[in-house]
Amino acid sequence: MEMLIKIAHNYYYMVAILLFIIGMHTMLTHSNLIKKVIAMNIMDTSVFLLFVAIGYTSGGAAPILTAPANEVLYVNPLPGSLMLTGIVVAVSITAYALSLVVKIYRYYGTVDYDEICLIRSQE
Amino acid sequence: MEDQIVRITSRLVAPFIQVYGIYVILHGHLSPGGGFSGGAIFGASLVLVALSFNLEVGAKQISHDTASVLESGGALGFVITGLVGVAVGANFLANRSAGFPLGEVGELFSAGAIFIITAFLGVKVASTIVTLFYNIIEGEEKSGNAH
Amino acid sequence: MELTNHFPALIMAVLLGISFLSPILYRWARKASAPALITSLSLALVMAIYLLFQVLQVGEFTYYMGGWPPPYGIEFRLDLIRVYMLLVVLAVSLWIMVYALKDLEHELKTEVMGWYYTLYALVVGSMAGIALTNDLFNLFVLMEICAISACAIISVKEDRACLEASFKYLILSAMGTGCFLLGVAMIYMVTGQMNYDLVNAALPEAVELYPNNMFAASALFIVAFGTKAALFPLHVWLPDAHASAPSPSSAMLSGLVIKIYAFALFIMFYQLFPRPLLESIPLNEILLWLASMGIMFGSIFAMVQVDLKKMLAYSSIGQIGYVFLGIGLDDTIAITGGFYHLLVHAIMKSMLFMCAGVIIYSTGIRQIKQLGGIGQVLPITMFAFTIGSASMIGIPGTGGLISKWYLALGALEIGRPIFVVIILASSLLNAVYYMPIIVNAFMQQEQFEYQVKPVPRQMLIPLFVGVAALVFLGVFSRPFIVLLENAVQLLF
Repeated sequence: MEMLIKIAHNYYYMVAILLFIIGMHTMLTHSNLIKKVIAMNIMDTSVFLLFVAIGYTSGGAAPILTAPANEVLYVNPLPGSLMLTGIVVAVSITAYALSLVVKIYRYYGTVDYDEICLIRSQE
Repeated sequence: MEDQIVRITSRLVAPFIQVYGIYVILHGHLSPGGGFSGGAIFGASLVLVALSFNLEVGAKQISHDTASVLESGGALGFVITGLVGVAVGANFLANRSAGFPLGEVGELFSAGAIFIITAFLGVKVASTIVTLFYNIIEGEEKSGNAH
Repeated sequence: MELTNHFPALIMAVLLGISFLSPILYRWARKASAPALITSLSLALVMAIYLLFQVLQVGEFTYYMGGWPPPYGIEFRLDLIRVYMLLVVLAVSLWIMVYALKDLEHELKTEVMGWYYTLYALVVGSMAGIALTNDLFNLFVLMEICAISACAIISVKEDRACLEASFKYLILSAMGTGCFLLGVAMIYMVTGQMNYDLVNAALPEAVELYPNNMFAASALFIVAFGTKAALFPLHVWLPDAHASAPSPSSAMLSGLVIKIYAFALFIMFYQLFPRPLLESIPLNEILLWLASMGIMFGSIFAMVQVDLKKMLAYSSIGQIGYVFLGIGLDDTIAITGGFYHLLVHAIMKSMLFMCAGVIIYSTGIRQIKQLGGIGQVLPITMFAFTIGSASMIGIPGTGGLISKWYLALGALEIGRPIFVVIILASSLLNAVYYMPIIVNAFMQQEQFEYQVKPVPRQMLIPLFVGVAALVFLGVFSRPFIVLLENAVQLLF
């Protein structure tokens, strides 16, 4: 019971972990390459959500400096800015992965990993 | 693609998107956004034009070669801005201690090196998005001819 | 001497600068681009050597990016073990690049050469950063740069095997970095810091309050770095990726890229996690057994391969196990042995991949069974291959023996002789798959029946350098061992 209450209080962590597991599972088990790339993004996004959730202060304003910091309650800006960097990194990985998928499609005529394996085994 | 509505709309909208992109880049140190978001907006406008007309019109705005040179140039600018700090005796990527004028908080031209770096980053991201687009499209065409 | 203070940042700046400059240079001054890359790599190496002497003289020191001290800024920390890693990375990558200049001409299309230089400099720069950084998030960004550019130096060859291998590598390494980032989130949640020293100071209290967070974080870190460094059950991406890549990329990936992650995990264990935590969770024990299984299975898989480069790739899985074994044994001598093996293996595996590259360049052969009698037509290459294999097996006079010796000594010192048996058994297994190639190459009477292209001198000279380095490391190992022992002792 105590555990359940704890989980209910920290439901946003659970959401993040759930998303992470969904992403990881899809990425490792699905054979469609595009789905793998999407799952990779879901996985990264879950961690970004977790980070931003850590940095949130309830009732805090967006951390844009308009008045001295001790007068207004601000949200912790560090996780947000770190995750901005993380998003940029995730975008570049996605772009690279998609360009690889385009190239793979050109060579094999399919984006399904099982079919690619079949084609390769027949050679 | 020969759609009149799409062409006219995108021709009308593109300059505004570009101005907005530049606005976001230049206000990177004052408000949410910055080099990455602004560069992505600017790059998207160029891709929009190339998509709604054709590649030749798109290439008139910014050719593939120019884009890839700008891409390297933007990143180089970042490194060189960082090296200014070393040159004047402060640390790598130093801002105030390297002598960049900080200006007033809230002014457009303030925050020293961050402003310069954001501008370079905007150029880099915008040109990267254009090169990515061209690379994928041109690859398609080459393989289309081959088949 | 103002400039020398900035060497830690300048190494990164030079490498990143040349990586962005390369495409422009290749477009407008094609002749200058390769010498520019070589010059920058040598410049970085000279700076790293200077840093080594500085660390030896004044002890460890730190460098703040932009002059911002932590917790605000990114910190580079220079102690003996990190500078050692930095030197290994820069020296080996310079050596590989000298070889690569000629080899790449026939493996790659001319228009992508400029981009290859970019990617190469990015890999080296990010690895130098990983070796030096003292900040968790900075480590994450550098790991992602390293992952993308390491995948790209495989897929740059654009044949179907390369593309597929590189996609597999990308997906698994994205999983690795995802796990790492989640682990960082767990740590940030309870400590509120990103800097290693500050996290280390805040962790003992945090572990008491939130033990589960730390368990999860350490598990995630093992999965993350294990995937990236090809620790045994997470190695599935490695054989395809390393075997299909262009030979210089294979040398780079097998020689350095997998090791830098083992090093990063080592730094996590000894500079980030407080000692009591490490003793309360059997992390070292997990690492030990995974490493031992990797050593055995890597060798067994390598035995059944028919493709030369694939065999070398599987052998890497076994060899990275030795480095992890050193870390897992948690003993000064064993860690010294592990890190010595890191250097020796970086040289010998790169050299073996270079030999494979020369064979492919000259004859186009990849199959092991076609190599019979090749010693008569490519004597220098096969001589280098022999020395490399001897070092893999651990024959006296080569560097491989020394590292295995110290690993075994370490295992004996903490009273785990079972690992000595594993080291001995794996040496035997190494001999089983390396010796037949050499014997066939030199002893076979019949004439070698494939066409042979003459090998340019620029590809053979690096092989000589590698042979000399391996023999040197086998005979005059003392200064390196002393340096490493000092470095490791500082961490306990």
